[in-house]
Amino acid sequence: MYMATASFSNRVGQAVEKSCSSISLLTFPAPKPTSSLPSLAVKCIDVQKGHHSSKWFLPWGKDQCESLKGFDEASSRLIVANDIVFAVHIPFIGHEMSPWFQFMLIILQLDIAFQFRNEIEENAMLTLDVAMAYRDGLNDPWTEMARSVEQRKLKCVLPVPKTQANEGHNYDCDLLPLLELGSVAHKYYLLNIKLPVNDQKKINLGIGEIKDLRLVTIFQNGGFTQVWFAMKTFLTPSILIIMIWYWRRITMMTRPPVLLEKVIFALGISMTFINIPVEWFSIGFNWTWMLLFGDIRQGIFYAVLLSFWIIFCGEHMMVPLVAQFTCSCCREGRESLRDNSADLPDLALITSFYDQAERNRISVYWKQVGPIAFGSCCLFIFDMCERGVQLTNPFYSIWTTDIGAELAMAFIIVAGICACLYFLFLCFMVFQVFRNISGKRSTLPAMSKARRLHYEGLIFRFRFLMIITLACAALTVIFFITTQISEGNWKWGEVTIELNSAFFTGVYGMWNLYVFALMFLYAPSHKNYGEDQSNGCTGSGSGEELQLTTTIANIDGPTEVYRLAGKESQE
Amino acid sequence: TTMSTLVVLHTFLIFSPIFATSAWSVNNFLMTGPKAYLTYSASVAVGAQSGIEECKYQFTWERWNCPEHTIQLASQKGLRSATRETSFVHAVSSAGVMYTLTKNCSMGDFDNCGCDESRNGKVGGRGWVWGGCSDNVEFGERISKLFVDGLETGQDARALMNLHNNEAGRLAVKSTMKRTCKCHGVSGSCSVQTCWLQLADFRDIGNHLKVKHDQALKLEMDKKKIRSGNSADNKGAIVDIFGSVARTELVFLEDSPDYCLKNGSLALQGTEGRECLQSGKNLSQWEKRSCRRLCIECGLKVEERRIESISSCNCKFHWCCTVKCEQCKHVVTKHYCSKREKPSSNSHPRRKTRGQNR
Repeated sequence: MYMATASFSNRVGQAVEKSCSSISLLTFPAPKPTSSLPSLAVKCIDVQKGHHSSKWFLPWGKDQCESLKGFDEASSRLIVANDIVFAVHIPFIGHEMSPWFQFMLIILQLDIAFQFRNEIEENAMLTLDVAMAYRDGLNDPWTEMARSVEQRKLKCVLPVPKTQANEGHNYDCDLLPLLELGSVAHKYYLLNIKLPVNDQKKINLGIGEIKDLRLVTIFQNGGFTQVWFAMKTFLTPSILIIMIWYWRRITMMTRPPVLLEKVIFALGISMTFINIPVEWFSIGFNWTWMLLFGDIRQGIFYAVLLSFWIIFCGEHMMVPLVAQFTCSCCREGRESLRDNSADLPDLALITSFYDQAERNRISVYWKQVGPIAFGSCCLFIFDMCERGVQLTNPFYSIWTTDIGAELAMAFIIVAGICACLYFLFLCFMVFQVFRNISGKRSTLPAMSKARRLHYEGLIFRFRFLMIITLACAALTVIFFITTQISEGNWKWGEVTIELNSAFFTGVYGMWNLYVFALMFLYAPSHKNYGEDQSNGCTGSGSGEELQLTTTIANIDGPTEVYRLAGKESQE
Repeated sequence: TTMSTLVVLHTFLIFSPIFATSAWSVNNFLMTGPKAYLTYSASVAVGAQSGIEECKYQFTWERWNCPEHTIQLASQKGLRSATRETSFVHAVSSAGVMYTLTKNCSMGDFDNCGCDESRNGKVGGRGWVWGGCSDNVEFGERISKLFVDGLETGQDARALMNLHNNEAGRLAVKSTMKRTCKCHGVSGSCSVQTCWLQLADFRDIGNHLKVKHDQALKLEMDKKKIRSGNSADNKGAIVDIFGSVARTELVFLEDSPDYCLKNGSLALQGTEGRECLQSGKNLSQWEKRSCRRLCIECGLKVEERRIESISSCNCKFHWCCTVKCEQCKHVVTKHYCSKREKPSSNSHPRRKTRGQNR
C-alpha cells in the first residue's frame, strides 16, 4: 500500500511541479485581458432636408462634420432634435483597430440632466437609429456594416434629492449595451447615432434632457490574445498526446472500455476541443461567429466535466460492494466469493452479476446527468438567441424587449435550477461514498492482505480525486473573488502581475492539468492483463487472488495502483 | 469665455519659457508645434471658466459669492490673497481644467491624448495593440498641471499654497471618479468583466471641494520667514510644512476678511443688495438660513420684494433643442439684504465671525 501510494504521489508531484512552473511563466508577460476605450460623441448637425441620404458624419479629421459644442447653442440656431447626429470614431486619431482584439463590445451611456420641467418618465424607452461603417484606409470611402433602429429601456435614478438646487445634476443611468462584434477585421469604425423624435408616434418622448452621449468600447488586448494563443498552441499537443496514449492503453485490453474510461476520454476530447487554437484563423479571416463558438466549446467542456464527477462518484459508490465478472468467469468467481465470505460481511449485497453491464450505461445516471444536459440546452438556446442573432444584427440584444428579457430570464433560471439539482445529487453521492468508505474501513483489518490493499487503493483513489477536484475548484473560486475585489495588478518586486491575466491563464492551465492528470493517473495498466485474464478463468492461484484480479480488471482495468498492489499480494 | 481665452493665451505667451524648461516631453511640443497649444489653451480656458461657474454655484448663498475678479489664475497683478476662499478657487479651477481636457480628449479633440505611448515602453502602434490605452484622465491631469501650475512662478509660501491647492483640485477629480463594470463572459456571465473609471458630474467634484473648503487647514507661517523666502533654508522649511499636509486637503495662510462689509481696497462688494432665500419648498437647511447669514448677521435687514415676471410654463420638451411653451405670469417673492433705515440702538448687531463652527 505504501509503495503504491508513494509511486502514485510521485507521479502526481512531478506533473504538478511541471505545469505550475509553466503557468507562472505564462502569466507574467501578459497585459490585462481587456481594454476599454471611452469616447464622447460629437454632436454633428445634419443640415440636409429629409435626412435620407447615406451620408456619414465624421467627428474629426478631414471631412469633419459641422458640430455643436452644447445644446444651448442649438435652440438659438433653430436646430431640432432630429437634425442631431452623434458621431463616434473608433479608435482615437492616430490609432488602428487590429484583428488581435478578437471582439468588440460597445456600451452606450447617456448624460441626462435632471430638470423639473423635463423629467425622465417611468418606463421610458429610448429609440436609437444606429448605423455603423468601416474602412481600412484613411482615404477610403466608408462601407456600411450594419444599420438598425433599436430600442433600449432607460433605467435612471437621480442620486440626489429632487430639489431646485439640484437641477442640472446628471441621472445615474444603467449601461445600455449597444453592439457586439465577434471579430475586429477592420481598422477604422464609425458610428452615427440619431435619437429621432416623433410626437405622434410617441417616439423618444419623456427621456429627459440629454447632455451628452458616451460610448465605451471594450476589446481584448492584443498582448493577452497572443499569450493566450501561445498557451493554447502549447497545451493542445500535450493533451492530445496523453489522450492518444490513454486510448491506446484502453484498446490494448481485450474487454470493451467501461463507462468511466469513456467519460475520461470524453473529457480529454472536450478539453482538446477548447484547446485547439482555431482562433489563429481569426487573424486572417473575418469570422464573426468566434464568440458563439467559444461559448459552445466551453459549454461542452463544463457539461462533460460535471457528468464525469457524477459518474466517478457513482462508480466508487458501488465498486466496494459489487464484484463483477465476465461471463466466462462467472461461476468460478461466484464460488470464490462464497469461499471468502468471511472477509466480506456485505456479501449479501452482491446479488446481481448484471450490475456491471447495467452500470456501464450512462442511462443509469439519467437522474444526475439529465439536469446537466437540460441546463446546458437551456443555456445553449439562450446563447443562440443572443449571440446567434448578433451574427446578423450586431445591435441586437434579447434583453431589450419585455418578452425577450422574460424568456432569457426563464432560460437562465431553469439552468440555475438544474445546477442546484445537480449539486444536490453530487453532494448526496459524495456523502454516500464517504459513508461507504467509512463502513469499509471498519472491516478492513479483518480482511486478507490482498483484499485490504484493493479496498485501500480504491479509497485512496477516490480521496485523491476528491482532493484535487476540491483544490482546483477552490483555487478557481478564490482567484475569481480576488480578481473581482482587487481590480488591477499586484506589484511583486520588479515584476507587476496583472491579476486578471494571471487568473485566466492560471485557471485555464490548472484545468488542463487536471484533465491531463486524470488521463495519466487513471489509465488502465497494460501489464499483466492478459495473464490475469487467463489465470482467472483457468482457476490457477487462490480464489481470493482470482477474485481480486478479475474485479480490478473488469471494473476499470488495473491502474498502476492496483497493478502494484496485485503484484505485491501475489508475491 | 472669449475674454478668458484671451487671458489664458496671454499668460501662455508670457510663461512659455516655463514650458520650454519643463521636464515634460518637450519634444512632443516641438513636434506638434504651436497649433497643439492653441487647441489645449481653448480647452484650458473653457475648463477654468467651468471651474468658476461651479464656484459661483457653490457659494451662491454664502457671504463671499465668488465674484469674477477672484479669477487670479491668469492675472498676476491681481490681489494675491491667501485665504480659504482663494484655496477653493484654485482647486476648483485646476479641477475644471483637468475635467474639460479629459472630456475633450474623449471627444477626439487631441492627437494621441488617451494613448500614451510611453506607458508600455513601446513606441508606435505596438504598445496600443499590445496593452491598450491609458486613461484619458491621466492626460487631463498632466496638461492641467502644465498649464495651471505653470502660472505659479514664485517660490514663496503663497505659490506653494496655490500649487498644493491645485493638486488637491486635481485629486478631487480623480477621487470622485466612478467605477463602472460590464460583464461579458460566457453567455454574458460575469466570469469576464471589464471595469473602467469615468468622470463624475462636475457638480459632485464641486461638492467634494466645498466640503474640503469647509475643512481647510490654516498653515501658520512665520511672516518673516515668508518675506525672506528666498534663502534655501527657509524654502526647505516651508516645503516641509506643506509636505506634512495630506495632498487631498485644501490649505490657506490668511484669515478671511469680513465679507459683510464693502471694502474698496480688497475689492469686496459686501452683502448689501444680495438675494437670499427664506422660505419655499425643497430648500436645504443651508439655503433656508441664507437670509440670516447674509443679511441679519451682517447687520442688514431682509427686504421682501414682489416681482411680477413672465416666464414660460406648461412646456413640452424634446430631449434637445425644441421647447413648446405657454407664457405665464407669475408673482414671485424675492428677498434681498438692505440697509436698516436708522441704525439700531444696539451698536453691535448679532454677528458671528466667520469660523469653522458650522
